[in-house]
Amino acid sequence: MKQIRYTKSISTILVLALSAIAISCTRKGKVDYDLNIDETLRWNIVSEPPTLDSTLSNDTTSGRVLDALMAGLTRYSFKDGEVSTEPSLASSWQVTPDQKTFTFTLRSDAKWTDGVPFTGQQVIDGWKRLLTKKTGSEYANFLFNVKNAQDFYEGKITDFAQVGIKLSDDKQKLIVQLEQSQSYFPSLLAHQATYPIRIDLIEKFGDKYTEAANYQSLGPYKLKIWDHDKAVVLERNDGYFGKKAKTKYILGRVVGEASTALNMFKKGELDALDTIPKVETESIRQMKEYRLQPSLAVYYYELHTNVKPFDDLRVRKAINMAIDREEINKVVGGTKIPAYNIVPPGLVGHDASIGLKFNAAAARKLLDEAGYKDRSTFPHIKLGLNTDENHQRIAENVQAQLKRNLGIEIEILNEEWKTYLKATGTNKYNFHRFAWVGDYPDADTFINLFVTNGGNNKTRWGSAKYDELVKKGLSEGDKEKRKQIYGQAMRLLNEEEVPVIPIYYYRDEYLISNRVKNYPLNMMFKFYPEDIELVK
Amino acid sequence: MKEFAKNFTKKVVGPAAVIAFLISIVVSFAGFEIPSAVIYVDAGLIVGFFALYTITEGLGAYVLRRLGQTVFVIWVIATLTFVLLRIIPGGPFDQEKALAPEIKQAIEAKYGLNDPLALQYWHYISGAATGHLGYSYKYVGREVSEIVSESFPVSFQLGMFAMVLSFLIGIPAGVFAASHHNTWKDSLTMIGAISSVSLPSFLVAAIMITIFCFGLDWLPVALWDGPSYYILPVVVLGLRPAAIIARLTRASVLEVIQSDFIRTARAKGLAEQIILYKHVLKNSLIPVITFAGPMAAELLSGAFIVEHIFNIPGMGKHFIQSVTNRDYPLVIGVTLVFATLLVFANLIVDILYTYFDPRIKLS
Repeated sequence: MKQIRYTKSISTILVLALSAIAISCTRKGKVDYDLNIDETLRWNIVSEPPTLDSTLSNDTTSGRVLDALMAGLTRYSFKDGEVSTEPSLASSWQVTPDQKTFTFTLRSDAKWTDGVPFTGQQVIDGWKRLLTKKTGSEYANFLFNVKNAQDFYEGKITDFAQVGIKLSDDKQKLIVQLEQSQSYFPSLLAHQATYPIRIDLIEKFGDKYTEAANYQSLGPYKLKIWDHDKAVVLERNDGYFGKKAKTKYILGRVVGEASTALNMFKKGELDALDTIPKVETESIRQMKEYRLQPSLAVYYYELHTNVKPFDDLRVRKAINMAIDREEINKVVGGTKIPAYNIVPPGLVGHDASIGLKFNAAAARKLLDEAGYKDRSTFPHIKLGLNTDENHQRIAENVQAQLKRNLGIEIEILNEEWKTYLKATGTNKYNFHRFAWVGDYPDADTFINLFVTNGGNNKTRWGSAKYDELVKKGLSEGDKEKRKQIYGQAMRLLNEEEVPVIPIYYYRDEYLISNRVKNYPLNMMFKFYPEDIELVK
Repeated sequence: MKEFAKNFTKKVVGPAAVIAFLISIVVSFAGFEIPSAVIYVDAGLIVGFFALYTITEGLGAYVLRRLGQTVFVIWVIATLTFVLLRIIPGGPFDQEKALAPEIKQAIEAKYGLNDPLALQYWHYISGAATGHLGYSYKYVGREVSEIVSESFPVSFQLGMFAMVLSFLIGIPAGVFAASHHNTWKDSLTMIGAISSVSLPSFLVAAIMITIFCFGLDWLPVALWDGPSYYILPVVVLGLRPAAIIARLTRASVLEVIQSDFIRTARAKGLAEQIILYKHVLKNSLIPVITFAGPMAAELLSGAFIVEHIFNIPGMGKHFIQSVTNRDYPLVIGVTLVFATLLVFANLIVDILYTYFDPRIKLS
C-alpha cells in the first residue's frame, strides 16, 4: 500500500506542476503572423526559397520573391504582348552603334530600406561577387561578355579594375564595355544575378545576411519575416523610388502540394496560386478565378542525330511531320500553343509560319524514301522522359500518332529527374523530351540553345552556318534586320535540318481570387507586385 | 535495499515518467508551447527510468554492449548512405539548364565535391561524429543541423500525438474484440481495423477533408497551429497503426486468455474487467511492443504523405526532396536522425520486454 501512496502523491504533484506551467505558458504564434488580412495578399510560393541572395538565386521561387524585394538597373515591361526592357535603377542608357559600349545613368533618389543611398559602386560590388568563383553563382556567365570578365572569373586577371565596368568621374554613370556586340545586354540587368548588393552587410553577417533581421532591399517591398519552410512576409517599402505598392503586406506561404493549396484557396485562405494541381483540372478550368497566361517557354523533343535512324534527315523530317501538335494540345487540356519552331510568341523573331507542319502523307513518303518502305526494318527507337504524368501522357500520344501515321513503334522510357538528365547526354534514347524557359526576353535565349556543342544542345547536331547566324543576330541592333536573321536561323533549324521537334509553347495557369485586382501575369513569370489591389 | 530500488523504479519513476509525458502531450495538443524546462523534466524522467531499471535489473552490461553496437550500426548506415549517394547517377548541380563546365566546377569546388572521395568521406564522417553535417547545397547558408532542428520537433509532435492516439484506440479495441470473440462486436471491430489498414492515408485524408473541412466546416484544411489544426493529420496518421495494434492485441489477448493462470483468476472470482486489463493485457503486450519500436521511429521522423497533404512543416519532405535534389548533407542528416531513432526504439523495446514479461532474460 505504501507504494501506491508514493505513486499518488508524486502524480498529484506532477499534475499540479504541469497544469501551472500549461496555464502560464504562451499560445503559439498565429498562422497569420498577426497581419490584418484586409491589407494582405496571401500568395502561395510553393517551396521554401533556397536563398534570397540575389547573386546566388537560381530558382523561380526565390526569383519571384526577389522581384518584390529588389531592383536592378533595368526591369521588364510587358505591353501589347511583347517584352521590352525599361529603366529602373538606371534612369536611362545609351549604346554605341557597334552595340559594345553601354552607358547607364543612375538614379540619385534610390535608397535601401535602412536609408543607405544606392550607388554605382554597389552594382560593381555585385558584379565582382558574381564573377568570383568562390561565390559559386550559377549565373556568372551572364556577364562573361563584359570585357575581361571571363578572364577575371578564371583567374587570368586578378585586378577587377581591368573588367569592363567603370563609374564615371561624377559617379552618376556606369560605363560597361563588352567583348562582343550584344544588343540585348540591358535586359540581362533585370535579372537578379546582376543586381546591386550591400557588401558591408554580407561581410558583417555572412550567409545570414538574408535573414529578415539583417536583410536590406531596394524594391517595392521589404522582408518583414522569413519563417523558414513556412512563409515569407513582405511589407510595403515606403521609401521605394518607383511606384508605391498599393497592398501593404504580402504573405507568401510555402504550400508544396498543389491540391492542398487549392483547398486553401477554396476556403479563402490563399488569394493567389501560380500553379494548379494536376487533378481536377477540368473543373478548375471552369472556375471564374482561373487565368491563362502565355509564357516564354517551349516544350520539345531532341533527336539524337549521331545514331541511326535520326542521322538520316528524311527520317527526322518524317517524324516531325507525323506528329499533330493540335492533337497533343487536346491531350494536355488545350491550354498550350502548338509549336513548330523554337522561339515562342512575344519575342522579336517569333514567326508562327516557320516550321514543318503536320502532314502524314508526306511523312510516310519521306520514310519510304529513307529506305524503310518495309516498316519492319525500321530500327527499334526509344523516347526518353523524366517521370511525370504530363510528359507520359504526351509521349503516349506521340507513340500512338507515330503508329497510326507512320506505322512505326516506339518505346517510352521514363526515369527519375537527375538520372534522366545524365542519360540525355548518352545514347540511351534516340530522342528525349526537354523544355526551355527563357532567361532573358530575347530570341537569342532560345536560338543559341542549338549552337554546335552548346552545353544544352543534346542533339549532337551542329552547323557552322547556324552558329554564324546566331552570332550575327546578337550584334544586330536593328529590330527588322534581327527578325530576318532569326528567321533564317529558325528555317535552318526547324525546316531544313530538324534536329529538334518543337511540341508546344507554354501557357501558365493561375487561380486568382476575386478580391485581388491587377495580379501580375506576364510571359516572364515576373512578380512585379506594385499594382496589386485588394478589394473588400 | 535492492528490492526498494526495484520497486522505486517500477512503481514511482516509471509511472511518474508516463504521467509527466502524457500531461505534456495533452498540454501540447491543447496548442501550448511546452517550455524547455518541462521537456528536460520529461526526458530526465524517461532516461532516469531506463537507467534505474537497467541497473536494478542487472542489465547494465547488456545495454552497454547494445550501445556499442549502435555506434557501429550508425557508422555502417552513414557509410552506406555516402556510397549510395555517389553511385546514383546525377549530382547536386546537374540541372535542366546545363551549367558551363567552369561554373559547375567552381560551384563543386565551393562544396568540396572535387576533393578525392577518401577526403570527402573523412570530412563527412568526422563531421557527423561531432554533429557538424555541413551546409545544405540547396538552401544556401543553412546548416543541416539547423534545418533538422527546425523541422524535427514538428514531426516529433505530430508523430507523438498519432502514437498516443493509436495506443488509446488500438489497445481497448483489441481487448474489446477479443473479449467478444466470435460475436458481431468482434467482427465489426475487425472490419474497421482491416479497412483502416488497407486504406492509404492520402485517401483517408481526402475523405476527411471533404467531410470535416468542406461539408461540416469544422476544421481547417491545412497548416499546423493548434488543436483544430492537429485533429485531422493526427487521426489520419494514427489510424493505421491503431488498426494494426488492435489486431495484434486481439490475437495476443485471445492466446493469453486461454492460459491456466487466467482460469485460476476466474475461479478465484475476480471481476472480468480486472482479469482483462490487469492480468491478460499486461501479458499480451509483447507483440504490440515489438511493433511499436519501428512504428515510433517511422512516425516520429516525419510522415511524408500526411505532412505533405496538410502542409505541416515537418521533416518528412526532406526525406524525399533531399534525394531528388542530391542534397548530400541533408540526405545524410535525415537518414542519421531516422537511423538513430530506429536503433534506440528497438533497444527500448528490448528492455521493455523484460518489464512486461519477466520470463524474458536479456544477456
